[in-house]
Amino acid sequence: MILAALCLGGARLDAATFTASLDRDNISLGESATLSLTFEGGSPKDLPMPNVPGLQIVNTGNSQNLSIQNGQMSSVVTVTYSITPRKIGEFVIPALVADVGGNQLTSQLLKLAVLPPNAPPPEAVNSGLEVAFMKLTLPEKEVCPGEALAVRLDIYLRDDVQDFRNFQFTGTPASGFTIGKMIETTKQRVQIGNRIYTDVPLEIALTANKTGLVSVGPFTASAVVVLPSANRARDSFPFGMFNTGEQKQVTLATETLNVESLPLPAEGTPANFNGAIGDYTMTVTAGPTNVAVGDPITVRVQISGHGALDALTLPDQPAWRDFKAYPPTSKVAISDQLGLQGTKTFEQIVTPQNTDVHELPAFSFSFFDPGTKSYRTLTQPPTQLAVHSGGTTPAPMMAATKSANSQNPPPPQDILPIKEQFGSLTPAGPPLLAQRAFLAVQSLPVLAWLAAFVWRKRTDSLANNPRLRRQRRVAGLVQGGLNDLHRLAAENNSAEFFATLFRLLQEQLGERLDCPSSSITEAVIDERLVLLGAPQPVLASLRELFQLCNQARYAPMRTSGELAAVIPQFENAVRELQNVKA
Amino acid sequence: MKMYLHILLAAVATVWIFTGSAMAADIPAEFSAANKLYAEGKFADAATTYEKILQSKTVSPKLYFNYGNAEFKAGNLGRAIAAYRQAAQLAPRDAEVRANLEFTRNQVQGPTLRESRWSRTSGWLGLLTLNEWTGLAAVALWLTFALLTATQIRPALKTALRGFVPGAVAVTLLSCACLGVDAAIHFTRQTAVVITPDVTARSGPFEEAQSAFTAHNGAELAVLDRRDNWLQVTDGSGRIGWLQRQQVEMLPGS
Repeated sequence: MILAALCLGGARLDAATFTASLDRDNISLGESATLSLTFEGGSPKDLPMPNVPGLQIVNTGNSQNLSIQNGQMSSVVTVTYSITPRKIGEFVIPALVADVGGNQLTSQLLKLAVLPPNAPPPEAVNSGLEVAFMKLTLPEKEVCPGEALAVRLDIYLRDDVQDFRNFQFTGTPASGFTIGKMIETTKQRVQIGNRIYTDVPLEIALTANKTGLVSVGPFTASAVVVLPSANRARDSFPFGMFNTGEQKQVTLATETLNVESLPLPAEGTPANFNGAIGDYTMTVTAGPTNVAVGDPITVRVQISGHGALDALTLPDQPAWRDFKAYPPTSKVAISDQLGLQGTKTFEQIVTPQNTDVHELPAFSFSFFDPGTKSYRTLTQPPTQLAVHSGGTTPAPMMAATKSANSQNPPPPQDILPIKEQFGSLTPAGPPLLAQRAFLAVQSLPVLAWLAAFVWRKRTDSLANNPRLRRQRRVAGLVQGGLNDLHRLAAENNSAEFFATLFRLLQEQLGERLDCPSSSITEAVIDERLVLLGAPQPVLASLRELFQLCNQARYAPMRTSGELAAVIPQFENAVRELQNVKA
Repeated sequence: MKMYLHILLAAVATVWIFTGSAMAADIPAEFSAANKLYAEGKFADAATTYEKILQSKTVSPKLYFNYGNAEFKAGNLGRAIAAYRQAAQLAPRDAEVRANLEFTRNQVQGPTLRESRWSRTSGWLGLLTLNEWTGLAAVALWLTFALLTATQIRPALKTALRGFVPGAVAVTLLSCACLGVDAAIHFTRQTAVVITPDVTARSGPFEEAQSAFTAHNGAELAVLDRRDNWLQVTDGSGRIGWLQRQQVEMLPGS
């Protein structure tokens, strides 16, 4: 039928309208209102989205109704928004424009007044009429700027509240305070008036940030509580079993608490006071203490206690003028959930600038203690240092060879110091490999080996050739014998001269004929030497020499000149004989 | 004439001896003076003094080390890295040199050459200097040929030296192979260390060429080519560009 109506429809949309409405004009901060946009006779092309500063507007749903009356189809499209104010005041929701069937339709202006929530009067609380309420408590009546404190917020729920959900702060104003963390502590049951309430305590960290009258609150919140259904008659089960209860939105508000924030006393302010407020203790360590000039020393300052730890900074240390100080790093270890108690650790690198430094001067930290209303100064005594000129510091572990028990050495903070000793001097120059003289020297062992190799080959060859060996031995004998001949000739020792000559002839001929030298006589010249093809002049010369030797046995007397004249003849004969192929 | 020659030789020897001893006497004094400047925090002055000693053609690993420290403290990362690398070439097993080189390299921003397995300053090749590899190979060579020569002169030693000769030959071949690789790296490769704050590597060897990449002070780049006053470099990640010669310090090896 709807489809038929849609097919039939068309002519009835010419009277489209667009209206906007609020379910109520006045609400308290913490409550929500509903804005409805109604389009009759058509659907908007785009949904208009109102935007009003100070109001949180969220689309909560769309619906469409189609109806046919007397053959006429009518369409109603409803868009709803939830409006939650963020502050107190009167808000105007401007006229909205929507395109419905090509027509630009405009809605009317709407006004919404947001009233401040009020804490319930004590009478109402004591009477037990309040289903839920909140109470804010400040621990002190006086604070000082920078002081951190915890404010307590109690949410009381009456004993008949079955459920408490969708709790949401709608306002947490604090003039002169900075709001920090909020934690929930242990619930407890308390009696107020003649009713029992469940107390849900919250703690909120506050830090005063100015002097004068400062205030906190009113804190406002909204929540949904579930109460037992008022109409028990509808509950058909005994004892209210399965009674799901009724949901009710409640707005909670606290009173405004005013506190005097007193300025810090000007009298007695320490010189290095840098605004730290709280109650602290301090530990300072520094190391290494045996360093070279320019080497890093890590100063670790641990400040523990109660206060605004995040805001703590290290004070300047004028006494550290002989040190170069690098910006410190810090980390905060919180020991409570509010973040007001814990330890802040600073690490600062300082480097001594000269060898006259013998100590790291005393480190002092001053703060104002709100508990005693006075300034306190914590001082760490000086740390003795041994500062050398560069290079004498033992190398850190990371620079040494890997140690078995240092698996992950800490990363170095700086370069290692300079070296005091010059070390061995080396003339700058090309590497050895590029120096020709060096390369030439390296050829010596190769040449020596080559020489030894050749020598070995020749020696082995000689050892394996008796004739060659005899040939060389005879050549040596002849060479030596010639000297003897010259000497004997000079001495005019005819007998010895010819005896030597005869022996040399025997040796030389024996070597050529490959027979024992003792068997050589003049006869072998004709018998065997001729067969070797020796030239006739050689043969004649040899015969003559043999004959001279024979004659000398009988007539040994000859002059030195005659003896010397024989030597060249012998030399020629031997030379020719050596050319004869053996 | 012969007398004049003798006098001339004596004069030259005297001058050589005296200038040499004077130089040797001056260097430790200058070194101490530079150390003092360093200790006083005058790092730039200390670097200048160390550099003056280096210009006298006399070097030592400790001198380069201190020079690197002074340049580092003066903010010249590139010159510091170059000095540490030269110290490492002279003393490759000095842990302090390596520590400072590594620390300085970690301060360098932007593209830089990462050490490869074949780098001189990393891996087993870097355990010895080129000269030490040369010396090792030379000793092995001499020993091997001494043994071979001995066996030629006295063949009876062949039995006694039966195990030594092949071992010596193997050591010689191995050390020569290492020397060959090391020498190839040393003589065929070059590294450019950027010594100016920021340099723009260009796509061509001229000022008007487009920017290829920017290298920061201390970046180590491999030199691929040269053209006039320009060097073609790469950071090892595929980026190639041209830098001017005066923007970098050249070092042998990779």
